[in-house]
Amino acid sequence: MFRHNALRYAVLALLAAGALFQALTAEYFGLEILTEILILAMLVLALDIVAGFGGMVSLCHGALMGVGAYTYAILSTKAGIAPPVAMAGSIALTGVAAWVIGAICSRSHGIYFIMATLAFGQMAYSYVFEAPIFGGDDGLGGISRLDLSFIGVDLNDSRSFALFCLALLAAIYVASVLILRSGLGRSLSGVMHNEQRMRALGLTVWRVKADVFGLSGMIAGLAGALAAQHILYISPGLLSWTVSGEALVVVILGGLGTLVGPLVGAAAFVVLKHELSAVTTYWHLVVGVILIAVVMSRANGVFGWFESRWGDRIERRMADATRKQQSEEVLTDA
Amino acid sequence: MAHDLGFWTLQALNALQLSMLLFLLSIGLTVIFGLMHFVNLAHGSLYALGAYFAASLAAVGGYWMGFFLAPVAVAGVGVLLYSGLIKRMRKSGPMAQVLVTFGLIFAMLDLTRIFWGDLALGIEVPALLDGRLAFLGVEYPTYRLFIIALGLAIFAALAFVLARTQIGAMIRAGVDNDAMAACLGINVERLFFMVFCFGCALAGLAGAVAAPLLSVTPDMGLQILIPTLIVIVIGGLGSLKGAVSGSLIYGFVQTFGAVLAPQLASVLIYALLAAVLVIKPVGLFPAKG
Repeated sequence: MFRHNALRYAVLALLAAGALFQALTAEYFGLEILTEILILAMLVLALDIVAGFGGMVSLCHGALMGVGAYTYAILSTKAGIAPPVAMAGSIALTGVAAWVIGAICSRSHGIYFIMATLAFGQMAYSYVFEAPIFGGDDGLGGISRLDLSFIGVDLNDSRSFALFCLALLAAIYVASVLILRSGLGRSLSGVMHNEQRMRALGLTVWRVKADVFGLSGMIAGLAGALAAQHILYISPGLLSWTVSGEALVVVILGGLGTLVGPLVGAAAFVVLKHELSAVTTYWHLVVGVILIAVVMSRANGVFGWFESRWGDRIERRMADATRKQQSEEVLTDA
Repeated sequence: MAHDLGFWTLQALNALQLSMLLFLLSIGLTVIFGLMHFVNLAHGSLYALGAYFAASLAAVGGYWMGFFLAPVAVAGVGVLLYSGLIKRMRKSGPMAQVLVTFGLIFAMLDLTRIFWGDLALGIEVPALLDGRLAFLGVEYPTYRLFIIALGLAIFAALAFVLARTQIGAMIRAGVDNDAMAACLGINVERLFFMVFCFGCALAGLAGAVAAPLLSVTPDMGLQILIPTLIVIVIGGLGSLKGAVSGSLIYGFVQTFGAVLAPQLASVLIYALLAAVLVIKPVGLFPAKG
């Protein structure tokens, strides 16, 4: 089950403060980068739920995000449906698609699961690439953002949009924690640790996997709908398997199964990407070498490494402090 | 359909040629996986490297120099990879291996860009194989026939080595049960190493052979990776039979799909893969039951 510790709360608070500060003070370019981070953060949260807590290493989450983005674009531009409904529709459709993929792949494990999800992701990619309604290689433009003018917010302003994404990310984080703490989330951990035992206990394992995969897909769908509104243009490249691969890289670099770690990873990845591509065109080389180094060091990502070194110590110190405080209170009472 | 028999012969030859190219790649990958349980996503990058080596060598000493030396050079890179990374990753789970080799893809992509630049390179088809051959009532480029023949020859040679020789028996024993094979006095580690290098050489050969057909670009490794993975997952990991049947299925579904149902062609192969994984999660002809 997912638990917060002092370190996680501290890092969360730092991240939230940093994002809020950036959202309120940054100029246009900084806001664009912040929004990119926030959307990637949603995607990696979705991926961490299935990969870190269910052992389902998915290589189709990028494609799921693309499905969300394309559904939103098609519904809002071609079908003329109001943006809020289109957004709800894209989340629902992506969730259903993910549920079906999760149900079909639930029997596969390890490398076969990775390959099966990869196959589904590529299937979506090729379909979007070929079908004329999606605009093929040219992509789709003319996407409009959600209209929140009734509460006095203009999302076409990048600052408002960044704040909007930040609020949604916070909500998604809370929702992820709630999912992982629910009965479903606990069953999922059980399945990850010992599938046979959970089956013997009478659990319908494939349902648990499919349900969590579906919920995770809904988050990815939301990230996709936001990505479409962020750039106002989408192309099939969004569904490419390398996007899923990069999301997985972010989860791993951050710390699998920690929820907080992938958030750190998302921020670090986007900033690193922009900083490096300003200096060199070979930023893939640097990212590749970092990835190899992190995985070979056997640490659970940057946050996981930090946590395993310092998490316990901070926790203990906090516990000591409270105990001291309590004993002092007892003394003063006496 | 208004097409005549010649058209279908041509398509069948195209399919066969694609299958044989994929076979050269997938056999190395599948045996590495079957024997070492190692997922090498960077296999496609080795193929790209083979194409680049071939292009550079061909510029110096003609096509045949590239053809023969590129596999050797790629095997050399394989030795470096094995001693630097893969040996240490042998005991890790599939996830760590996928990630390390994914990082390797990134790194090698940019390394090829640094050494050879972003522009596409090309190789001339050698004079011996230039031109067309009249064949079964159709005219077909000789070079493509050469690829088909090469693939079949390598298939025959591997089938012979695996089934009839002592080293083949050792490899089969290692795939079947590596601990038991080690107990019987086979140096499984050394066997792994040899097979890995040989797989790399075959990937390099595939790159060298494909170079005159496709243009040599840094991302050609990424493009071929997914088809190769599909081939080995459909065929089943670790077996020659799986690699060859998977390659043929992929080649024919892709080629004939593009002719018969262009709208669905690319989706078709992924749907087939999904179907195989659902019905037979370990592929059609896995090395182990």
